[in-house]
Amino acid sequence: MKKWYIVLIAVLLVLSQILAACAPAATPTAPVVTEPAVVEPAVVEPTKAPEVVPTQPPVEPTAVPEPTKPPEPVDISLWAQATVTEAGAPPDDWIAYKRIRDELNINLDYVIVPTGADGEAKINAVAAANDLPDLFQMVSASGDNRGALKRLVDLGLMAPVDDLMPLMPERVKLHYNDPLAIDLVTFDGKQYGLPEPPPLPRREGLVIRKDWLDKLGLKAPTTPEELLAVAKAFTEQDPDGNGKKDTYGLGGFIVGQGLGNRFDFLTGAYGVPGLWNFIDPANFGLNVRNPEYPKALAFFKSLVDAKVIDPDWPTLTRDDFRARWKQGLFGIMWEDFAALSNKSNYEPFDTIFPNGEWIPVAAPVGPNGDAYYGVYTGRGQIFGISQKAIEAGKGEAIARLLEWMATDGYYLLGFGEEGVNFIIDANGNISTKGLDPAQAYTAAERQPYTQMRNQLVFYNSEQEIAARYPTYNTINGRVMDPMKFLSFFQSQPWVDGRGIQVILPPANAADFDRYYSEGILQFVLGQKELNDTTWAEYLAGLDAVGAAEYEASAKQNLIDAGLLK
Amino acid sequence: MSVRVLPSSLIPSIKIYPKNLWRVLRQYRWVYLLMLPTFVYFVIFKYGPLWNAQIAFKDFKPLLGVLGSPWVGFEHFKTFIDSFYFTQLIRNTLIFSLGKLILGMPIAVICAIALHETWFLRYRTFVQTMIYLPHFLSWVIMFGVLLVLLSPGNGLINEIIVSLGGEPIPFLTSPDTFRWVVILSDIWKETGWSTILYLAALLAISPDLYEAAAVDGATPIQRIRYISLPGILPVIVLITLLRLGHILEAGFNQIFVLYSVPVYSVGDILDTWVYRQGVLNFQFSLATAVGFFKGAIGLVLLLVANRAAKRIAGQSIY
Amino acid sequence: MHTRTRDTVVFQIGIAIFLTIMLFIILIPFWRVIVTAVIPLDIYTRQGVPFFLSPTKWTFEAFKQLLTHSMFPRAALNSVIITVLGTAISLFLTVPLAYGLSIRSLPGRKVIMAFVLIIYLFSPGLIPVYLLITGMKLTNNYLAIILPPAVSVFNTLVMMGFFEGLPEELKESARLDGANELQVLIRIILPLSKPILLTIGLFYAVFYWNEFFTPILYLNDNDLIPLPVLLRNILISASFNEYVEYNAFSSSSLESLKSAGVFITMLPMLLIYPWIQRYFTKGTLVGGVKG
Repeated sequence: MKKWYIVLIAVLLVLSQILAACAPAATPTAPVVTEPAVVEPAVVEPTKAPEVVPTQPPVEPTAVPEPTKPPEPVDISLWAQATVTEAGAPPDDWIAYKRIRDELNINLDYVIVPTGADGEAKINAVAAANDLPDLFQMVSASGDNRGALKRLVDLGLMAPVDDLMPLMPERVKLHYNDPLAIDLVTFDGKQYGLPEPPPLPRREGLVIRKDWLDKLGLKAPTTPEELLAVAKAFTEQDPDGNGKKDTYGLGGFIVGQGLGNRFDFLTGAYGVPGLWNFIDPANFGLNVRNPEYPKALAFFKSLVDAKVIDPDWPTLTRDDFRARWKQGLFGIMWEDFAALSNKSNYEPFDTIFPNGEWIPVAAPVGPNGDAYYGVYTGRGQIFGISQKAIEAGKGEAIARLLEWMATDGYYLLGFGEEGVNFIIDANGNISTKGLDPAQAYTAAERQPYTQMRNQLVFYNSEQEIAARYPTYNTINGRVMDPMKFLSFFQSQPWVDGRGIQVILPPANAADFDRYYSEGILQFVLGQKELNDTTWAEYLAGLDAVGAAEYEASAKQNLIDAGLLK
Repeated sequence: MSVRVLPSSLIPSIKIYPKNLWRVLRQYRWVYLLMLPTFVYFVIFKYGPLWNAQIAFKDFKPLLGVLGSPWVGFEHFKTFIDSFYFTQLIRNTLIFSLGKLILGMPIAVICAIALHETWFLRYRTFVQTMIYLPHFLSWVIMFGVLLVLLSPGNGLINEIIVSLGGEPIPFLTSPDTFRWVVILSDIWKETGWSTILYLAALLAISPDLYEAAAVDGATPIQRIRYISLPGILPVIVLITLLRLGHILEAGFNQIFVLYSVPVYSVGDILDTWVYRQGVLNFQFSLATAVGFFKGAIGLVLLLVANRAAKRIAGQSIY
Repeated sequence: MHTRTRDTVVFQIGIAIFLTIMLFIILIPFWRVIVTAVIPLDIYTRQGVPFFLSPTKWTFEAFKQLLTHSMFPRAALNSVIITVLGTAISLFLTVPLAYGLSIRSLPGRKVIMAFVLIIYLFSPGLIPVYLLITGMKLTNNYLAIILPPAVSVFNTLVMMGFFEGLPEELKESARLDGANELQVLIRIILPLSKPILLTIGLFYAVFYWNEFFTPILYLNDNDLIPLPVLLRNILISASFNEYVEYNAFSSSSLESLKSAGVFITMLPMLLIYPWIQRYFTKGTLVGGVKG
């Protein structure tokens, strides 16, 4: 009996040693490679040595009879988020790795960074260890990518990229063509960030169930009061006709401070959408200082009091919210055009409610004639290059890689191989007609191969958009065109709030945010009575957490960036 | 004949005279040898990071590294002690921690005793296996469950309340009820897991004691009072002391998933504040400083409680 | 055995009822997970998750999608490696320390105890550990996940408590027979400590099996990620991705996938515990002390 234990312990020890030796089987550079790491010169001869400045995408080389030994390939580590998180990273035998090695003489180590707080923690950790990857994406749980970049720049960990821009002319033309975006990533006169084009701007909007309106004989609301009335009707008059009082007028969840940006269409009707007053530059400051703000809150409170809004709105996540509108829980909501109308997202809803139809609604006009849909922040992905990479002399190779992604590698990284994963039809549109469905770029199995598309490859070209948001027919034959929603949303009055990207958070940001948001929600949820006295107390408390200083420094940030006079 | 069993914990430490020291050391040489790998491990992997944790007293700059970064003394500690919500954070943290301990431990002990006492052994195995399952569910899942039960819109409990003529209660967003939701849901989830430990402790009690009690005609209640409870008293004391040492750990994962702005006043704890202020804003030094603070408080509490435990229960860690 | 008085019978029934109630209360979330995991998509989209599931309307679609995910077998294997390796290392390091601390007459015990308690109280946090691990070049290595948390002071002290609770007479008689401390440990203590070794081993195993943040932090290679990370990747896509023009899984709802994922992760642990229980027999000390 006792021997058994000794043997067990011994076996475990040996086992642990073996496994410890085996566990780090994978090294960062592709462990399972179908060809040796050193490019066989006989097969492909790179048309340029690393030191030559490339001005055109690599041309398919003709076989060179006497190949000279190419210089050692440059190792570049690229960290970026995945376009489709669940699909995982491309396998090690991905053809793009091979082409990058062959054509660009680069060994690419592509690491997928998680989204949100986990990704931010991971990047922060490598930054703290002074071990940042060569080319990587800024990750911020709050979406403040520029802030993330600035922090790294202040720590001296990022390299200026001014010298690299001329090395990638095509890419600059397609991706980095917005002077304001470049300004935002320029610090002390040097550009540190590569600002990728934001996803289609102003892509969210207000929508309402047309079938419910029709059933109750109502018209789409144009003012906040009308919205309240319609919401009441939706809640009380059984608009889905199933005999049960199981619907609400409005549904939503909170993103950001206070009520969040998804309810800006309501505060916008009172002229106070968002945190900052970007509407009246002469009086820049926090919107809560505006006397209209408590009125907007009072209106929102009336929605809550009338119980016409899904009561879980303060605690819901995005997933829950989306599941709920698909279940037909509410009839008015703020949603992203793609999440609303793109085929894969609309399908579950369509199946249950074939007669269900969402139509866009214009910004409600408030009592003073104000109407604002929301605040456009212009935030997009920002990439950067670490100081270490430049010091290791990799700058030129990185530029080469980025240029390739915008030219020769564009289709490969964005869709796949022509004729296998996609075709270009007679109209110049991307299509999958006639292809093996399992190989089509839209197939689940192909998603790992196009993970870089939203982060590094797409730049909102017309061809892209047509491919990503195609028109289709709903179950009962209606034509669904996501672009219609998009153009409607974009035509609404939005506040240009891009200045928010230069505003630096105060030192006690967490406390300020909490006080700000907590107060607003307490008023709206009825935990605290909303009247002149309590509102004045709230503002006074806000100053106690440094609101005035925050406003002053924000104003200074804007002036310094040239966005405010 | 009766059997006396003397647990080694009741043997007082023996004072060693220098002359005997070598003899005792030689007697225990194997023990020291066995502990050596663990000792080395501790030095490298536990004290090593603690050495790095000096960044709590520094203005850490990655380019300068741990040693090269400049000292700032207690500045980070001041930052968060002077911060607006500090007292509230401490209060909330303590309430959650103590609440879970005071309510949770008795329930787990009672469950363990019940399992230990039952004659239906098959049933016992079954219950034992099932009861610890919620421990494996993440709080994200539990939040979904709580939403189903407690949502003011269509939660099960509120539907019952409404059908009885009442008003729905927003359990998750009302400061009045949130604390209970947190404490009770934690007990709900973790009771089974704690029960395993207490049950194992009960099983270690010699059955001879129970036999003797049966011979003496003891009732089940007497059995529990005089044998079971004293038998697991060391474990109970140990766990209580350890949990007091971590008194400022109130369960970040749970709170983070469950809380929302409307209940910050009662739900915001030290760790969630640090998360918002420190981790995401690159303020590692601040986060590390809070860790030290927690440790200091825990140390004080542990020493005090240890002394009290020695006096009251005759058990202690130290 | 126990005399069958009326009190005892009443007591037994009371206990049984109590346990049944506890069982029901505690299993409610678990039941919901099962229901959600097997609910067909059309029912889910129509009415969410009903409390009671009709037995004729089940589907294992969600499980199928997860289990047939191309990365699933590899991720599961990785999890097994991490768990087995981690538990072995943890027990190997924990048992001697716990045993040493349980000997009250060991010289220097108080110092060692202080040594250990300081670590328990003062946890250095994410970045200091990260700096150490990267300094040791352990990135992309399972040891980065296993070593920092390998010894849990809590587990050590609990184990110590158990060793202390063992009767001193046993050790004494062994010592009188001429055994040295090593032999006492191996021949006397360990065989009697099956319950605690298995319990602590289970605690460690569950910990390693569920680890997902440190793998995210230290593992860059996709082939190395363990199951919780894979499942998390599968499930967070909709939460953050505004570019939802593509839905990788369309025959199951996100909720079902979440629940199925939870269930799959739980399953091994579920199966292990009853198996371990066989060793948790009452009266492990029978036959050791009489006389």
